[in-house]
Amino acid sequence: MEIRKFIFKRLIEIFVIFFVILTVLFLLFRLAPGDPVTRMVDPTMTPEDAAHLIAQLGLDQPIWLQYIYYLKNFFTGNFGISFHYGVAVLSIILNRLPNTILLFSTSILLSAFAGIFLGKIASWHKGKKIDTWMTLGALICHTLFLPWLALIMIWIFGFHIGWFPLNGMIAPEIWLDSSSGFWLKFLDIAHHMVLPLATLFLIHFGSYLLLMRSSMLDTLKEDYILTARAKGLTEKVIRNHHAAPNAALPVVTSVGISLAFSLSGGALTETVFSWPGIGRELVFAVSNSDYPLAQASFLLIATVVLISNLVVDVLYAYLDPRIKY
Amino acid sequence: MVERFLEGWSVYKENLIGKIGLTLLVIFALMALCSFFTPMIDPMYHPMTGVDPQISHSTSPSWRHWLGTDFIGRDIFCQLLAGARIAFMVGISAAFMSIFLGTAIGMIAGYSRKFVDTLLMRLADMIMVMPTLLVVLILSSLFGQLNIWTIVLLIALFRWPGVSRVIRAQTLSLKERPFIEAAKVAGASHFRIIFRHIMPNVLPLSLLYMTFRVTSAIIIEAALAFLGFGDPSTVSWGMMLQWVWKTGHMFQAPYWLLPPGICISLLTLSFYMLGRAMEEVLDPRLRKEVVQE
Amino acid sequence: MALLTVKNLSVGYLTRKGFLKSVQGVSFTLDQGKSLGIVGESGCGKTTIGMALMGLLPDNAAVTDGEILFEDQDLLKMSRKEIRQVRWKKIAMIFQAAMNALNPVHRVSEQISEAILAHHTDISEEAVMKQVESLFDLVGIPLDRMRDYPHQYSGGMKQRAIIAMALACHPSLIIADEPTTALDVIVQDQILSAIKDFQNKLNISVIFISHDIAVVADVCDNIGIMFAGQLVEYGRIEDVFNAPMHPYTISLLASYLTLDKDVVQPDSYLCKPPDLINPTPGCRFCERCTVAEAACSLMTPEWVEISPTHKALCYQCK
Repeated sequence: MEIRKFIFKRLIEIFVIFFVILTVLFLLFRLAPGDPVTRMVDPTMTPEDAAHLIAQLGLDQPIWLQYIYYLKNFFTGNFGISFHYGVAVLSIILNRLPNTILLFSTSILLSAFAGIFLGKIASWHKGKKIDTWMTLGALICHTLFLPWLALIMIWIFGFHIGWFPLNGMIAPEIWLDSSSGFWLKFLDIAHHMVLPLATLFLIHFGSYLLLMRSSMLDTLKEDYILTARAKGLTEKVIRNHHAAPNAALPVVTSVGISLAFSLSGGALTETVFSWPGIGRELVFAVSNSDYPLAQASFLLIATVVLISNLVVDVLYAYLDPRIKY
Repeated sequence: MVERFLEGWSVYKENLIGKIGLTLLVIFALMALCSFFTPMIDPMYHPMTGVDPQISHSTSPSWRHWLGTDFIGRDIFCQLLAGARIAFMVGISAAFMSIFLGTAIGMIAGYSRKFVDTLLMRLADMIMVMPTLLVVLILSSLFGQLNIWTIVLLIALFRWPGVSRVIRAQTLSLKERPFIEAAKVAGASHFRIIFRHIMPNVLPLSLLYMTFRVTSAIIIEAALAFLGFGDPSTVSWGMMLQWVWKTGHMFQAPYWLLPPGICISLLTLSFYMLGRAMEEVLDPRLRKEVVQE
Repeated sequence: MALLTVKNLSVGYLTRKGFLKSVQGVSFTLDQGKSLGIVGESGCGKTTIGMALMGLLPDNAAVTDGEILFEDQDLLKMSRKEIRQVRWKKIAMIFQAAMNALNPVHRVSEQISEAILAHHTDISEEAVMKQVESLFDLVGIPLDRMRDYPHQYSGGMKQRAIIAMALACHPSLIIADEPTTALDVIVQDQILSAIKDFQNKLNISVIFISHDIAVVADVCDNIGIMFAGQLVEYGRIEDVFNAPMHPYTISLLASYLTLDKDVVQPDSYLCKPPDLINPTPGCRFCERCTVAEAACSLMTPEWVEISPTHKALCYQCK
């Protein structure tokens, strides 16, 4: 029951933040140098279409009325027409969203689990060679420049060794062929996903490993670990059953805090690998001055960050019984 | 003040990570300094405009060009040196600004009444939720090509919340200490209390966070340049990577592809090491003392 | 046959400044069903003894001398696997309630049943649950609180839970390390009665470690006074309390306010704590001693037997 109240409260907070971002974007688009009309209306449109759009967006009205139109359009899902693609922005971003979520959530889950697991092992063998190598490896991975790593991955694994495709999410031949079954398509996506996933994984797991390692070392000094030892439990049970669940909590928090950063990384990865997601769409839209698409993509990304934060908070509450609402 | 610094230095010296970090930083700083001199040796060594009259395409390393040339015949090594200069400039200014903002706001929030505190922290929360890179991206779509200093300012504006939370927590705990009470009783104004009494105590923490902010500033600038939204009149490492990528030399020119990325990573690493070593200096609990019974 | 015989135990810690001799040459015995109190100020080494008995000394600690004979086996010579089997089943420990002795992310009943299951492999789940229930009854915690988490318990309840956990495998010896510190007086009293209670009912030996001599007097049969890592006085409670011999014991008892005697305020001395890295060759109490002579600081003191059940480590007690 209490969890539901908490979620509800947070959803309201998210709504408020979203509203503020919406408003700020509105003001920015109107106040930035240049003519707002050309920004929202595709210059290549016919005059009638243009006039229709202007009326729809209320661009010929005073600014407070524009704001009302803006909100109304937003909540009815009318984000305008993309300059570049010529279709409704909504359909584009809805098409791209699942791809981003697939890549993003898989990479976060994988790097969090791996970071926690390996960090735990590194702390067991503190001071020994395996720990030094793991810590060093994590540190180096953590400081690699993501786009550069992506390029290197493509160069080595895609170009030289040729195991993986150079870019994209799907091989058109497979998807256009009507006889391809579900598994073939699934494997095709998975095959394309390996390199971008590996890139994101390498960049992020390092920080989780280092955090889990120091968290374990702190936790092992706690009194209840002494109690567990006094009870005659084996070291393995103590580390896995008593220390690790406590040590993992700060890592979960850290995942939540770095979600915005992870999403930026996601956008970069999508761009380099031509993975058709929201991040790449945003970058393209900005390069092409496709304002409606850029605005909508940004808002969608903001939403993803906010909702992910909520998910992480709920997960944390589930894991730590001390949290009360 | 000076004794505290010297004491800190003696602890720092013992830390291997700190020493490696500092050494790397010195190397990069030297690189940045050298970048001023290379065009003086020969105009063809200018990173932006220096074109070798004999070469007009990408070539591999040679005696004339230690790291080879890029797609229009410019010397890659000089570009690398110039990149070091930009990295330091961007990193340190953006970090400094964001720390300045973050510390000021953190102190004010911690010291003020609940309303101001809550307002400031809510603002911080909202900003923290935004992916900085993407925000700067969308702003550049509105304001056109961004100048390097605008980029620095934007980075600072979106990175201050992290440090302000920590400073606020520190201020909150300092607020209750007797010496603050004493100052209040003596009639000191709030302003004076904040800047004369609280600030010196939170400053070490601010400096620590500055090292971490430098790394994020450098990475954001590099990512922006990589995507093509950097300042076209500056040669940064990110810009170099963009050129390699966009001109399709990715697969054929490892001498061009590898150095900028390595430099970004190493510089980030060295600041990170510096920060970790400083952490040990500032927080005695982290030092390798053996616990006594 | 004594349950526990400690002979000449010496333990030290490797620190940055040198080897800290925390416990030196401590010997005592304990019979089944009897209780021993170890009293001293902080840093005197009493907790180290408790840890050494359980084999829970930290990595930088070293046992430099002595034997710990428990049921005729030297605990110090046991392998790690053997020690794990002795722990909790034969010797259990009660920690301070103020300590974070219970794991915050696991339920209390789970932590107790874990102790049982670690030492009994052929027991059914219902049997374990029944046992946990009976333990809760024994220490007086309502059964509907069994599945709560530690942070939901009050300080007194946590302490009871820790006691219940210690009793889970019916050990022969329980080491209680400051079990009533950080509890208010009423709860303190309840906990002490609980300990006396199970000691009598279940015939368990108790080693009670505390800095509070009054608390120990309530519960124990014998008492050992420790100072600077050495046992300086040892004997039955009545003997030591009615006729304290060692100057340290005398000042310790004198610093407590009583209703039946005039209070003699001890001279407050601002001495540094004793140096355990390079201890003085003679008696370590010299600096604070009111009856010290020149010889005391040069010659190693020897045990003086005042009666068969009372001895003190001091030349002045002849």
